[in-house]
Amino acid sequence: MNRRVFDAGPFDQYERNGFDEMFAEDGRPRSHYGALYNRLATLSTEDMESRHHMADLVMRRQGITFTVYGRGEGLEQIIPFDPIPRLISSEEWETLERGLEQRVRALNAFVHDVYHDRLILKDRVVPAELVVGASGYQRECVGLRVPRDIYIHISGIDLIRDENGQFLVLEDNARTPSGVSYVLNNRHVMKQVFPFLFQQYNVRPIDDYPANLLATLRAIDPSGRDDPTVAVMTPGVYNSAYFEHSFLARQMGVELVEGRDLFFDGGYVYMKTTRGPRRVDVLYRRVDDRSLDPLAFDRTSVLGVAGLYGALRAGNLGLANALGTGVCDDKAIYPFVPEFVRYYLREEPILGNVETFRLTEPSQRQHVLTNLEKLVVKAVDGSGGYGMLIGPASTKAQREEFARKIEADPRRFIAQPTISLSQHPTFVDGRLEGRHIDLRPFVLFGDQVRVLPGGLTRVALPKGSLVVNSSQGGGTKDTWVLRGDPPEQNEATGELQGD
Amino acid sequence: MSFKGTDAMLSRVAENLYWISRYLERVESVARLLDDSFQLELDAAGLHAAAAGERPVESVLSILGCKEAFLTQHPNGGRAEVLKFLTFERDHADSMLSMIGRARENARGTQETLSAEVWGQINRLYLYLCGRQARRRYRTSPSRFFEGIKRSCILYTGLVESTLPRSEVYHFLQFGRYLERVMQLSRILGVKVHALRQVEPLAAGSLRVVYSTSLLQSCSAYDAYIRQAHEQIDPLGAVGYLMLDPDFPRSMRFGVDRACNALRAISGGDEHGFATEAERLLGRLGSDLRFLDLDEVIHRGLEQFLTEVLTTCHRAAHEVHQTYFLT
Repeated sequence: MNRRVFDAGPFDQYERNGFDEMFAEDGRPRSHYGALYNRLATLSTEDMESRHHMADLVMRRQGITFTVYGRGEGLEQIIPFDPIPRLISSEEWETLERGLEQRVRALNAFVHDVYHDRLILKDRVVPAELVVGASGYQRECVGLRVPRDIYIHISGIDLIRDENGQFLVLEDNARTPSGVSYVLNNRHVMKQVFPFLFQQYNVRPIDDYPANLLATLRAIDPSGRDDPTVAVMTPGVYNSAYFEHSFLARQMGVELVEGRDLFFDGGYVYMKTTRGPRRVDVLYRRVDDRSLDPLAFDRTSVLGVAGLYGALRAGNLGLANALGTGVCDDKAIYPFVPEFVRYYLREEPILGNVETFRLTEPSQRQHVLTNLEKLVVKAVDGSGGYGMLIGPASTKAQREEFARKIEADPRRFIAQPTISLSQHPTFVDGRLEGRHIDLRPFVLFGDQVRVLPGGLTRVALPKGSLVVNSSQGGGTKDTWVLRGDPPEQNEATGELQGD
Repeated sequence: MSFKGTDAMLSRVAENLYWISRYLERVESVARLLDDSFQLELDAAGLHAAAAGERPVESVLSILGCKEAFLTQHPNGGRAEVLKFLTFERDHADSMLSMIGRARENARGTQETLSAEVWGQINRLYLYLCGRQARRRYRTSPSRFFEGIKRSCILYTGLVESTLPRSEVYHFLQFGRYLERVMQLSRILGVKVHALRQVEPLAAGSLRVVYSTSLLQSCSAYDAYIRQAHEQIDPLGAVGYLMLDPDFPRSMRFGVDRACNALRAISGGDEHGFATEAERLLGRLGSDLRFLDLDEVIHRGLEQFLTEVLTTCHRAAHEVHQTYFLT
């Protein structure tokens, strides 16, 4: 390790572990991180503190908050924001972008197939009972046509980097992934916190996301009207992602509706306005499948619209995402996604999966049960970092409990080796330390496929933690996808700009 | 109703907006009333008045109609308790903190229709009031604290004026604000005129001036009045000005006209008729105020007239609710 590099200012206690985004194996900054490193090395603690504080204040004043459940009624918090940006070089991004587009096209083809011809089940590429038994599988969708045969209009594919620096898919979020509002706001904050550094790097802009989202939504309008009515549908102000729903509606200039603002009549969905009913053509819903229509699904739901399913059947409503896409969020389906790419697109997958053990296979289950302390076990329908066993950090009692659960219902779990996520310099207690990160890029699929350059970089703030979820002490970073060559590594550039 | 179809908005959102501006208008009014009555008590006049009847700060409780609620919670409460009750008391629905909290809750649910600046301002005011800084400032100088609240409310109004297009969003905000303003003014006049009557027998001329001044100041009307009156302040002149002046933005006539204009802008109606019952009610009150003679009002009974104004406002609010929020 090169001592000289880590002696500098806020890096004086920095430790490199596993794959480090900023520092190469020889301890020197990677070429595209050079200018950022030089800038950070000259910052004083006070300077860093004040920038951190600035970011915090900007977020709180604009009400960029999420609601934490379980700890008192509707407690609002801001997600901790780390002011050190994560950089992705243009070559790395080019590969990721192609890989993401390929994966989303394959997932979409799979969903369509599952609810129509079921060729992939007939060809026994994936076991039929696994698909039909998936928690996100909706039998009401069988034979239901959707505009342009597109189901997954908005997806968030979680990526991690293993110890070799290889990007791998950790999970697919094809229902209603959230976080994109943080991506846009983090950028807004960064332009205030490090304006000149930002300018120095040639960063790909992301401001066109709302316009692209609107174009995607308009592409699934079934009405053919000149100016279709698009709306964002939220469960309401107490939902943890309410800020995002409201933010996206505002950015697109469309109404934010709740179930109680809508009603169904004669095959169409209408919203109640000050000038009477107005027909809705496309809904970007952030409400679960089962809560959408109390007549067709969960009778106790008060978030939905009685009859909405009828509008879908009649082909009078574009719904994003379509019903039933949760079938590919099931972690027992995940191991087959690379096969979907080969099966539907006849291409080799660009993005790999994390090795996954299927517990319905007796030999794999046996292997997992004897190696629990080395593995991570996840519930197939779990999310948010809940309901999982992290083998190396578990107690004997916890392992025994999971072993019992697995034997009782192996379909409900999968297991993966504990993979070390890559680490990134992060501002902690007045200096920079390595913390584990992942990446959630966002993919839009409508009239065309558009990948938002960058995405949400989540960071596990407690030392050594591998859980990046905001509900479990995770924070976020701005993600800079670079265009062309990185800036010169000249120490003077940072100084000159006086950022 | 012949509405253009381009400009509609969600009924729920319209109702939220209407309440946001009513709450903030009320907060501004409470800040002004408390500031003014607190200063009045600091003068010797306050002590004098205490002997005659209600103390100035307590009179704010009467204006806001929450005297009983206060006495239940604080049977022996003095000035400090009243001030606290109306500012930071979370358990009291009409304290500034509670009202701003509700305005903010409504604004949070309608962020996408407000501009980011307007929402940000409401949110900042709420966070300020919840924080330590507000309490510190309040302890050091209540007047400076109230002044800060007034400025924040006015900044909100300014941001509404300068960042929102004149669409339904704006007009519902306007309607709520002016309706609330007229209702507040009716209550202020009712209580203050009553107090003036009680003081009068034992009051020397100077006390009449002090009370009239206070009445004008609690509506931010002192400067404007004195510039056009050119003479010593008298209670009747002040009351007449606050009720009937066509150009002063806090007068009753001005407020009724603006509230009515906002409703016409929403319905697409004009001055010659009315599209909704609320427009008719407020339009008639507006023309009453235009052609009224103050002596006539006094003769018929000022208190009774003010009560009628409040009834009309309540009925107009109810009609708007039926027409726009329940569809």
